[in-house]
Amino acid sequence: MADERKLAYVMAFNEAVKQQMEADPNVFCAGEDIGAFGGVFGTFGGLQAKFGADRVVDTPISEQAIVGLGVGAAVTGLRPIVDLMFMDFICVALDQIVNQAAKLKYMFGGDAVLPLTITTAGGGGLSAAAQHSQSLEALLCHIPGLKVVMPSNPYDMKGLMTACIQENNPTVMIKHKRLLGMTGHVPEESYSIPLGKGNILRPGKDVTIVAYARMANEALIAADELAKDGIDCEIIDPRTLQPLDTDLIVSSVKKTNHAVVVHEAVRFGGLGGEIASQIQELAFDYLDAPVTRIGAPFSPVPFSPALEQHYIPDSKTIVQGIRDVMARV
Amino acid sequence: MSTVGIIVNPNAGKDIRRLVTPATHTSDVTKVGIVRRAIVAAAEAGATRILLMPDRHRLAERAAEGLGLDGRDGRCSVEIVDEPLSGSRHDTIAAARRFWKEQAGAVIALGGDGTSRDVALGWPDAPLIAISTGTNNVYPSAIDGTSAGAAAALVAAGHVDIAVVGRRSKRVTVRIDDVVVEGDAERTVSRDDLALVDLAFIDAQFVGARAVRDPNTVRAVIAAVATPASTGLSSIAGRVHPVDRWDDTGVLIRLGHGGRRVRVPLAPGSFTTLDIAEVRPLALGESVEIAGKCVLAFDGERDVPVSERGRVTVRVDKSGPLLIDVDATLIIAARDRRFDEKQTTTPDPEADGAPHGH
Amino acid sequence: MDLPVHVQLDLHRRMVRIRLFEEAAGRLAESNRLPGFLHLYVGEEAVAAGVCGALNDDDHITSTHRGHGHLVAKGGDFNRMMAELMGKATGYCKGKGGSMHISDTSLGMLGANGIVGAGSPIAVGAAFANRYRGRGQVAVAFFGDGSTNIGAFHEAANMACALHLPIVFACENNEYGEFTPRDKTMAITDIVDRAAGYGMPGVIVDGMDVIAVHEAAVEAVERARTGGGPSLIEAKTYRFYNHHGVQNLGLKYRSDDEVAMWKQRDPIFTLEDRMIENKAATRDQFDAIWAELRAGIEAAIAFADESPYPTPDQIMVGVYTSMSGAN
Repeated sequence: MADERKLAYVMAFNEAVKQQMEADPNVFCAGEDIGAFGGVFGTFGGLQAKFGADRVVDTPISEQAIVGLGVGAAVTGLRPIVDLMFMDFICVALDQIVNQAAKLKYMFGGDAVLPLTITTAGGGGLSAAAQHSQSLEALLCHIPGLKVVMPSNPYDMKGLMTACIQENNPTVMIKHKRLLGMTGHVPEESYSIPLGKGNILRPGKDVTIVAYARMANEALIAADELAKDGIDCEIIDPRTLQPLDTDLIVSSVKKTNHAVVVHEAVRFGGLGGEIASQIQELAFDYLDAPVTRIGAPFSPVPFSPALEQHYIPDSKTIVQGIRDVMARV
Repeated sequence: MSTVGIIVNPNAGKDIRRLVTPATHTSDVTKVGIVRRAIVAAAEAGATRILLMPDRHRLAERAAEGLGLDGRDGRCSVEIVDEPLSGSRHDTIAAARRFWKEQAGAVIALGGDGTSRDVALGWPDAPLIAISTGTNNVYPSAIDGTSAGAAAALVAAGHVDIAVVGRRSKRVTVRIDDVVVEGDAERTVSRDDLALVDLAFIDAQFVGARAVRDPNTVRAVIAAVATPASTGLSSIAGRVHPVDRWDDTGVLIRLGHGGRRVRVPLAPGSFTTLDIAEVRPLALGESVEIAGKCVLAFDGERDVPVSERGRVTVRVDKSGPLLIDVDATLIIAARDRRFDEKQTTTPDPEADGAPHGH
Repeated sequence: MDLPVHVQLDLHRRMVRIRLFEEAAGRLAESNRLPGFLHLYVGEEAVAAGVCGALNDDDHITSTHRGHGHLVAKGGDFNRMMAELMGKATGYCKGKGGSMHISDTSLGMLGANGIVGAGSPIAVGAAFANRYRGRGQVAVAFFGDGSTNIGAFHEAANMACALHLPIVFACENNEYGEFTPRDKTMAITDIVDRAAGYGMPGVIVDGMDVIAVHEAAVEAVERARTGGGPSLIEAKTYRFYNHHGVQNLGLKYRSDDEVAMWKQRDPIFTLEDRMIENKAATRDQFDAIWAELRAGIEAAIAFADESPYPTPDQIMVGVYTSMSGAN
């Protein structure tokens, strides 16, 4: 596969948006600096030049109004993509996300359709400190009415972003900042990956690692390391966190009898707790050890690289976590 | 005792005309600033007592806040007069009447033509400085609060003679006789009213948003002042038969086909073509009667509906307020050295002893 | 003549429909027949009627927690509204929204809203979509004086002006944010003083005079429709009842004199009097209108009473556009 087409994660996002804008005139993008500047991470690069300022709209720094723009345009028939530069900024727009976008359909008796995609960039590793590094996905997954997506590689990014845009519900697409430059195989033609369908990133028989976004990649490194010791890890990347592919996770755990959940968000109250809980509810009799959660300590994301590198879980933390689980057998 | 009264109409400069045309919005903050400057300048120029009209927006209160003008130790006193508030133009009328009773030597009124009209309704002979914060103002002028406050105090204190700097303005004096039906009974109701610029007869059923929006509804205009340099209804007469503020004449314009066609800025920055059927100069005191259903617009604002059995008798006469010429007042005061610093008995510590800073 | 009689009657009808619906809702609430909160629009009818009377059917509006009047004025159906207030399956929201979320997207009414200020950004989105489609539709954001103190309003007003969108900001200034008078919560008196700060014109109208509101709304809507951009109308108005409910547990925060003064300026009766004086309508004609609409409200109460409640299996219906989202 030497001539396999490779694309960076950021360009996979960009290509999905471009193709959907070409396919559907109702798709437009709005956000801070996304037009002439192409987005602070280059995610929307070249789109305004191609589609014009009416379809790729530079907005004021107004997160509530940006999401509100998306809600109002979606409920009146367009298919908006609205960008919140950093995931931390969803906190500024939470009313529009939580009380409006997520709930209008239900409150209106099911009549309203909100084909809205909110895109944002999460995760740490850039010394961006506590207000530009968070992983707040658990907050969003707790809200009925939202769908939440966190792709771990360029292929998934394009397919999931395409699915988000085509989806008739409000979705939040969380790009991981440290994965923007990651390259991988991405077909040129448009394709979508169904929301709510997880992926077996690496098949194995001894332990199930549930990991998403950047942590899925760390888990792959950890699995190679553990393979040297004869521990065969199966890595499940749920890709979509809400709705969660519980069936895939549970069937894997029934096979491996061990489960470790990894995320970059703080451990307490994180999505790992929910996943662990679902595993014990649905596969308790298959478990040879308690489900282990690996996450960040319960502190804000620190600034200094000296601190941050110890704060965010990595392949070494995962290796250690898995050894601990396996040692309990 | 030299008393200056200040009226600030909180409602001026905010009506529908800002939507129809590029008319200026005058915020409360702007008005508070003008009043504050007028207070400071009046106190500086020798007013011993400044009376302020109370208002629902607390503009007067905010304008006077923190100035420390409490009447003690020879300082000027600033008082907000105690009058019941309606939140409407009646607050202006009541304040003008009160200032009359308090023997104010000069009144400063901030607002539009409508505000000056209300002052005249409350105090027909008011010695007045009218500051424009309204829309298409003809009667009031763009005068800074600082100049207005100084001039008002100089006149009120008698330093400049009102007989020299005050001029009697014209007005449109209006009498309305109408029939009101109450159940089976009918009775005739008469009322007197006035405009300082013009009275227009509008083919309309409602006062509505007050501004005259549709030029085709204007039936007739009787103007005391008709200047082509104005906008609004008075510009109709102004562009076919100018009448200066101080001319001893008025004019009646009837609209309708068969005569001249004139381009008129009926609102600021908005032109329309009107058909003029009749232009008739009016001598001062000459009475005109117009009957029939309409809404009367006083100084550009729809105000009083008249039934088809109503009769409106109108004349232009010289019984408006005494308009104070601010420039002339300040020039006279300057020539009289009124602005020279007074010799004080307490020596200025900066002025005696060795020179500083060398 | 200025405003055709059929338009006057249309505005009157919208106001009477609101009044009758709200009075009926108030009575039902007092006899504990309506669950939840109830924010009545009585007194403010001229605003919704005057503005919605200037709109086309396919124009959009966003609303507030005091939103029944906006839906009625946009043509809302009494039966489905009353059923929703009672939490019935036949209601506008199938019993899932209630008074604070009542909506009819087919009428362009994008929902009452329980979050103060939240409707304005949504109206900006609707206005954006309207310009995007280029069919000349406009959006109106109804909001109260209190909501201009929340960031969402500021963001929405600024963005609407920055993007020059076809939108009208219609402020119902009823002088109280819940129970606190306006002068305790802002240093300005006129909401319209904020408009210039965003770069749009703002005008004050008498919110108790439907003709005045309508005149301003016609101008503002026309301006928006023809590419003139946003504008703000501040209607000075008053709620005759309390913040919520009718007596609101006897809370006292306004003087009887003040309430009585505003009630004297009842927007419906003043219009009727004026139209009778103008010989545009007769008392008998108005009586017939009230009777006809009153019959409609009685029928709506009966419809709602007889309607079934939603069944528990409906809890999970309508969370997502398909059920795929349920965990």
